Parts: sequence; structure tokens; C-alpha cells
Amino acid sequence: MDIKILGTGCSKCDQTEKLVREVVAETGADAQIGKVTDIKSIVKYGVMLTPAVVVDGEVKIVGKIPKKEDIKSWLGK
Amino acid sequence: MDIGAYIVNLIQSGMGSLASYLAAHVLLCLVPAFFIAGGLSALVPKEAVTKFLGRKAPKIIAYPTAVLAGSTLAVCSCTIVPLFAGIYMRGAGLGPAITFLFFAPAGNILALSYTGVALGADFAIARIILCIVFGIGIGLIMSAIFSRDDLAHAEADDTTYVGQEGLRLTTLCFLVGMVALLLVGTLKVDLLLDTYAKFTIPLQGFDQFQDFLYRLVPFDASKGEEGVTAQGAILIGFLGLIGVTAWRGLGRVDEGFSGWTYVSLSLIALTLVIAAVRMEPTSTGLDIHLTGKMFGIILVMAALGYMARKCFDSYEIQQWLWETWRFIKLIFPLLVVGVFAVGVIRHFIRPEWIEAVAGQNTILGNLAGVVFGVFMYFPTLVEVPIAKMFLTLGMHPGPLLAYLMADPELSLQSILITASIIGRLKAWTYVAWVALFSATSGMIYGAWTDGASAWTLLAYLGIFLIILIFVLYLVNRRNHSLEEKIATTKEICRND
Repeated sequence: MDIKILGTGCSKCDQTEKLVREVVAETGADAQIGKVTDIKSIVKYGVMLTPAVVVDGEVKIVGKIPKKEDIKSWLGK
Repeated sequence: MDIGAYIVNLIQSGMGSLASYLAAHVLLCLVPAFFIAGGLSALVPKEAVTKFLGRKAPKIIAYPTAVLAGSTLAVCSCTIVPLFAGIYMRGAGLGPAITFLFFAPAGNILALSYTGVALGADFAIARIILCIVFGIGIGLIMSAIFSRDDLAHAEADDTTYVGQEGLRLTTLCFLVGMVALLLVGTLKVDLLLDTYAKFTIPLQGFDQFQDFLYRLVPFDASKGEEGVTAQGAILIGFLGLIGVTAWRGLGRVDEGFSGWTYVSLSLIALTLVIAAVRMEPTSTGLDIHLTGKMFGIILVMAALGYMARKCFDSYEIQQWLWETWRFIKLIFPLLVVGVFAVGVIRHFIRPEWIEAVAGQNTILGNLAGVVFGVFMYFPTLVEVPIAKMFLTLGMHPGPLLAYLMADPELSLQSILITASIIGRLKAWTYVAWVALFSATSGMIYGAWTDGASAWTLLAYLGIFLIILIFVLYLVNRRNHSLEEKIATTKEICRND
């Protein structure tokens, strides 16, 4: 599973990354977590707002910090 | 004067500047404004607005929506950049993106309310009207000048993530409620300023305390300075308490509501009430005047508390408080330092210099205001106390507005980031137009405060707009003829 966190480096994006890493660690899911900070690449995903989370190429949430239950459901747990 | 006394003098100046900025009326403005910013950031689903900024959006919808987005969504600079890039590359195009970029730093709720409280409502109103008019104007101009690039962008593939949520009525009411709180706290209306009841706390010594404060931080009333009153000192003490409790109570609220949360929220509510009453120390005790403002504040806060309990789930409230604290952490410390520095620096600037350059509503004066705004980088909201300082040093309101409009828009850092998204040519063209429009706004506002009739000004504005439309028309025609030339050249090449 490939998770990308899109964010230019503000505290909301850092918070999102922190939460995703926590949930992945807690559930033991097999996932690669990466961060995309370049604005042009972020827009290529079709999002206009950060933070955003992309799982396996599919945009899951845009513009706000996800809840832990949301992250868990994306991981299929 | 020996160096020790000189330094003490400077520090007193800084403290005095700070004290008047933490005075009651500023608190009644800034505290609700931070909560509003937090609410806009946490509770408003941005898709509700951005879906009107998509590629297919008609111009008549896209431009006003860009203005709306600029004022409601762009409270954080981390939102401005991706949204600008998104609108430009995937959405409605260069024009609305530029309008958004222009309106966002100047038109957001924090900047506007602070300008209104510190410089007066007419500055704030002028700022907002001129920003809307010129924001849309610059967007249209840029999109006309660079329309060839825009066409290429319009033909590209469009895949934007579309969210599900819309704006709930309860969210809207909640936000309007917070704006009401801000207005009740700051509007200078008799209904609110009148005293409806009065009681006296029989604690002696407050008048001596206030005299002591006036000596500790001397002020010159003729220069428009305010001293630290007993009420001001009490409020500052409360602010300190709030800082300590909110750090735990609001900063960690995403982990759950704690005792700290309730304590800090109660302290904030209490501070607002204390700011809303009028305190007068007398020789017998402390007179507390219960103003209409106080009753209004209590009423609105009670309504907001009720709404928060009933209409939102705890996750949303947590997000709201967390975002609010994030803004406070981001902006308030820099604001305090900035205001203190302004108080100190004021001593080194002679009024004659300011008056010579920008004392009158001249073209030179307005351009000077713009240049200063471009080259000096100040943290968010600090441009307001700086503007106030210039005002008291003798700057004419015209060049002052020019400075206020140019400063948030243009800093070297923001220009570089913009250039990385739309390219250097477009970015510097944008800078030139912002400078021109800021100077023009300044001249118009300056003429108005000088007493020019509204009709004269509308006439000037009308002439300016006509020239603008003519330029746009000429540019468009040149673009069209160039396109035809390119199209026919392509035809010829194809037929070879």
C-alpha cells in the first residue's frame, strides 16, 4: 500500500503525517508513507488544498486533517 | 542624556505602544477574530467554495468566488499557495487565481478587523472596497494579457478531486454569531457604550496603582498615545494567564478536552467581559460600569456556547479550538514583538522626513508608500501598528492606504513563490499592476479624505476604469490577431 501525504510544510500537514504514521504503526499495516512538498506535483494529483492524503493513487481526503478512524478505514482495518 | 536613561526611555516607549495595543478594544476585536479564523479553517468545508472555481466555472461566478475564497479560506498562508496553484493549473485559470492571490492577504477577517479597530472603520471599509474592485480588475487584466497561455491550460485535461460536503446552515450561523461578537465588542454605538448599571468594589488603592502605571509608562496624549490604565493592567495579567492555560488546554485539545481546556475557555470569556466594562478607579474604590457592550458580549457568548454544545460534535469543536490556538501561536507573539519594536523605532524617525515625502496626497507620496510596503517584510498584522505610527508621524491617509494595500500583497518571499508557479514574467507583471493599483487606491482615498466630493472621485474612478477597459480591449485584439497569424501559419505548414 502506498500512502502519499501532500503538503507544503505547514503545521496541519505535519499533523496529518504524524497521525498517518501513528495509525500505520498501531495497526501494523504494510504501507509505504511518503510526503510530497513540491507545489506543482501536489496540484498534479488534482487537489487544490493541503493537507491531502493519497492512498494507492486515489485521493482520500483534501483540505483537512483526517480522523484516525478514517485513516484506519483506508488501510482496510 | 546618559545612555541608561535613553534606553529606559526607549523601553518605556515600546511598552507604551504595546499597552495601547493590548487595550480593551483591541482584545475585543482580536480574540473573536482568532476564533473566527479557527472556525473558518476547521469548520468550513473548502469544497463548498472551490467547486465554483473549477475549470468550467463561468467568469461571472469565478471572480466573485475568488474574492470570497480569499476572505474566508485564506486565513493561513499555507492555504493560499496550494489554492492559488490549484486554481491556476486545474481550475478557473490565471484570472480568478490572481484575484484570489490579491485579495487573500488583505481581505481576510483578521486583517480587516484589526485595521478597523486600530486605524478606524473608514480605513477598513476603504481597504475592502478597493481590494475587491482592484482584485477583480487585476485578475481580468492578467488573464487578458496572458490569454494565449490560458487557452492552452483550458484545453488540458481536467481531473479535480470533488469533495462531498457542503456548508451546513449551523456552521454558517455559528460563524455569523462570532462575527456578531466581534461587532458588539468593537462598534462605537451609543446603545453599547452607555452605562446601564454601576457598582463599586470597595477596594482602595486602584487609583494610586493607575497613577503609578502612568508614571511607569509615560505617554503623550497630544500624540494620540494611550497609557496603561488599571483596567489595562488587569487585562494584560489575564492575557498572561490565558497564555499559560491555553497552551495546555487548547494546544492539546486534539487529544481530548481536559480541565485545562475548560479553564482557559472560561478565562477567555471572563477577559472579554472585563474588557467590555468600564473601570474607573476613584479614591474610595473601583467603579465598575456595566455597559451595554458587556450585556451584549455575555448574551452572544452564551448563545455561541449553547450552539457549540448542541450543533457540533466534539471532534469538530476540538478541531476548531486547535486551529484557533494554532493561529494565536503563529501570529500573536510576532505581533507583540512587532508592536514593541514599532514603539521603539518611532523615536528614531523624525516627523519632518515623513511629512516631506508623504505628507500630502501626491503621486510621489503614494509611490513611496507602495515602495516601502514592497521592500519591507513584516509579519502578518504588524503592518497595522506600523501604519498607525506613520499616521501619527504625519503621513497623509492616501499614501498610508497605498502602503496598507501593497505591504501584505508583495514581499520578496511571496513574489518568489508566485514566480515558481506562474513564471517570472507573469509574476513581475502582477507586481507592477499591484503597485499601480495600490498607488491609485491611495490617491483616490487621499482625495476623499481631503474633501473631494464622492462624485469627483467616482468620475476619476470611472475614467480610470474606462482607460483600463480600453487597454484590455487593445491587448485582446492584439492577442486575437496574433492567434490568427499563428493559426494560418500552422495551416500553411500543414499543407506543405
